[in-house]
Amino acid sequence: MRHNLAIRLLTCTAAGTLGGMLAQHLAPSATLGPLWSGVAAAVFSLVFRRRVLDPGSGLLWGAAYALLLWIALFAAAILRDGGAATPVLDVARAAFPRLVAAIVTLGVPTGLALGIVDTVQDGKRRTLTSLPRALVGGGLAGVVGGWAFGKWMAHVHFFPLIAGLVHRTSASVGMTLHFTIAIVIGASFGLLFQREIRGFGSSMGYGAAYGVVWWLIGPLTVLPALTHRSIDWTAAHASTEFAPFVGHIIYGLIVGVIYAAVDRVWKRLFYESDPLNREPSDGGIRSLTSLYWGTLASIAGGFLFSFVMLVTDKLPRVAALVGGTSITLGLAVHMMISVIIGATYGILFRYEAPDLSASLAWGLLYGAAWWFIGPLTLFPILLGGSFAWTSADAAAELPSLVGHLLYGVATAVVFLALERRHAAWLARDSRFASREKRRRRPLRTSAPAVWLLFVGLGVTLPVLLS
Amino acid sequence: MKRATFVASSLDAATTGATLGVGLWVAVTIILAPTISKGSPAWSAAGMLGAFPWLVGWILLGFMFGFAWPGVAAVLPRVKRARKAKGAGIRIVILGGGFAGVASAKALERMYFFNPLIEITLVSDTNALVFTPMLAEVAGSSLEPSHISNPTRTALHRTTFFRARVTDVDFERRVVVAGEDELPYDYLVLALGSVSQYVGLENVQHHSFEFRTLPDAIAIRSHVIEMFERADRLEDPTARRALLTFVVAGGGFAGAELAGAINDFARGIVVDYPRLRNDEIKVVLVHSRERILPELSSSLARYALERMQARGVTFKLNVRVADATSSTVHLDSGETIATETLVWTAGTAPNPLLRTLDLRCDKRGAVLVEPTLAVKQHQNIWAIGDCAAVVDARTGVTCPPTAQFATREAATAASNIRAAIDGRAAGEFRFRSFGSLCVVGYQTACAELKLPFRSEAVRFSGLFAWILWRGIYLAKLPGAERKLRVLIDWSIGLFFPPDIVQTIDQRT
Repeated sequence: MRHNLAIRLLTCTAAGTLGGMLAQHLAPSATLGPLWSGVAAAVFSLVFRRRVLDPGSGLLWGAAYALLLWIALFAAAILRDGGAATPVLDVARAAFPRLVAAIVTLGVPTGLALGIVDTVQDGKRRTLTSLPRALVGGGLAGVVGGWAFGKWMAHVHFFPLIAGLVHRTSASVGMTLHFTIAIVIGASFGLLFQREIRGFGSSMGYGAAYGVVWWLIGPLTVLPALTHRSIDWTAAHASTEFAPFVGHIIYGLIVGVIYAAVDRVWKRLFYESDPLNREPSDGGIRSLTSLYWGTLASIAGGFLFSFVMLVTDKLPRVAALVGGTSITLGLAVHMMISVIIGATYGILFRYEAPDLSASLAWGLLYGAAWWFIGPLTLFPILLGGSFAWTSADAAAELPSLVGHLLYGVATAVVFLALERRHAAWLARDSRFASREKRRRRPLRTSAPAVWLLFVGLGVTLPVLLS
Repeated sequence: MKRATFVASSLDAATTGATLGVGLWVAVTIILAPTISKGSPAWSAAGMLGAFPWLVGWILLGFMFGFAWPGVAAVLPRVKRARKAKGAGIRIVILGGGFAGVASAKALERMYFFNPLIEITLVSDTNALVFTPMLAEVAGSSLEPSHISNPTRTALHRTTFFRARVTDVDFERRVVVAGEDELPYDYLVLALGSVSQYVGLENVQHHSFEFRTLPDAIAIRSHVIEMFERADRLEDPTARRALLTFVVAGGGFAGAELAGAINDFARGIVVDYPRLRNDEIKVVLVHSRERILPELSSSLARYALERMQARGVTFKLNVRVADATSSTVHLDSGETIATETLVWTAGTAPNPLLRTLDLRCDKRGAVLVEPTLAVKQHQNIWAIGDCAAVVDARTGVTCPPTAQFATREAATAASNIRAAIDGRAAGEFRFRSFGSLCVVGYQTACAELKLPFRSEAVRFSGLFAWILWRGIYLAKLPGAERKLRVLIDWSIGLFFPPDIVQTIDQRT
């Protein structure tokens, strides 16, 4: 036991120290330094050793730890300079390189190292359920996600830049490389998170968080390094890379949904069809009721969101989706969209929330995800234009972000309340009770790290970089 | 809680708390505080940028609160939330697993799926619902037997299934007796169906096949094949003809469809028996009235008769089966038919158990019910389907004992049980039949459909009616899996001959 602990401690300390050295080389002003990085990694290995169960959860907990560490250090600096004249926002922007450094060179490598050591030491417990499923599902998801992200890349002529990775300038080479990378990231998504993902909703959340991490690693770090450009982790530069930030989130969301879909089909064909694994059926009643509950819940969320839309005068713009301009029409269209999105919440997130706090967190995540999908992506397309994903666009849509978060939370809470009513009858039939228990997300997965990474960075960065 | 688990829980809660801090920042700092102090929320880009320090603060506060929460929760007095439902449960017991019983259970499941107070129990002596409109196709080897029957246990998801034969009902104690077992009820649905009625013809009962259940259809199919196997070995043409003669008593839907199915099957498999000739096969339909299919209009009945005759079926109209031995069937006209196959579809009667109960019945033995389907003088008991004498409140006419009516009666009974539980007034049974469909041979059927806004029924016959029959009944067949299996069976039947594998050894 002590031997295992020592190995984990040493591995993480080494990973943190090496990460600190790398950060010092890449951006000297942004790093804690190898010594403090090593200490922070050692603390991580001690505190999070029970939470990190495999490389996937290690990566997420490591990145979340790095984010929390940055917030804590940032808050400490503010408190230390209590009366300083510099505005807090400027201090935060100045500290942005440290955030990138913390996640890319401390959190991610340390978390992965701890996860790998844990898997090697306790291989029986943490093996993948199916390697082909992870690779095929993730790879397919990567293709579809890459296709969506590629739309933006083609629009802004980004492919030649990617071709620079192999010292070419051709768009077709860039596109080939882009899809190769998308497939590799997709497959790695399957490999890392197969055990953590339960349904479509959590898969979306994990995909979005993974996308955020890849934005920090890819466009902000690896791409400039491999194309012989200087690595710039400043807020000003990150602001110019805001479009890839949204693109990576959209890519992650799509990868999550497609992976979950392939995973579902795969399980149905090769696992659930086995008579030994058969579960009692309720004839689709649970799915229908989840849709129904989601619809009811979305009405509550939709009304709250409508208030924000009304005050910020966005309803005429919503009415423009169907060629109108009136507030009433905008309200009707908005409520209709709310109901559709809420109904899908019922299907996507059933079984995901074991308690109220988890429900609130999934709701925030779902609301934030739809801010990236809706106002920043689909809305401009539906209005006949194209999306630019600039930080200026994001700043203009910040009030809508508030509405989306409120919508997500209200929908999730009402859905949970309706779902809990269901619990009374479940207790009457042990077959259904045990099935529901098996399907529901248990406590102590890496979901909290996903919530913090996506909701924390998904809200903080648009504000900070706008 | 172990220390390690406790720390892990604290980390989870702390990280979740940090996430929820973002939500609190939006709710408090962006919306509530500015609205209270300045009269409007601060959700503009400038306002949110200005509130950024608070975002950091909320995330940290959430983290700290979350970290402390498991410890706080551990010392707080635990309030147990009893999830037990208030009040006593209500027990609804359904007797019978036919169309009426299963349909009423399904309707009650839809109403009370999430209500733990309602217990639904179905008692049946078979564990599957047979889709009787397709039973003739099983006898004619067009469909696999299990493909038209749906297991009651898997079809019902909220109902307790109890396979047993009901022997008594104690109305005083409100208890159903099934052999050794007793099932208490608060509301009872009688859907016990009917049995074959032989009107005292004991020899006929002894020497004939019934045609009501899946085993009956399987037995008929195997018997037909057995007759061919035996006939194939005989040299005497008279004896061969006797074995290849199949008599069906009763010219209603069941009899006509079965005669058509046996005729097609027998004439289809004769090519596999080179010593036998098609003209040695004889399928006889004996009917006591002037025309077959009294449920249909006379023109369609005539069409059916002509088509069946053209395909080789012989009709004996205005005569009854009077007696039978193991090798002959005697008609009341004095005619004797040499055959070893007699199938009885000529009469049904409500389940005889009903006569033993303290219930008011009509002369057939069907339970008399109110227009609400409640049994007369028993307001917590409902009777539906073939075992009940149901009068349509719209027309005042007694409803026929068909699946179509049984399923609608079940829906009304379920709705009225709910009304009784809720203390509301019950509704009357009203139903306008959609019409009737009957297959009389390969790709040949009769259909009489009642369409909205038309007083006269619309009649179809031939191939179109046959397609209509298959489409409608496939849609009505319970369960997507069964539908698919039947569809595959039908498709196979287009390209391959009927199967002559004997699944029952009938030599004994």
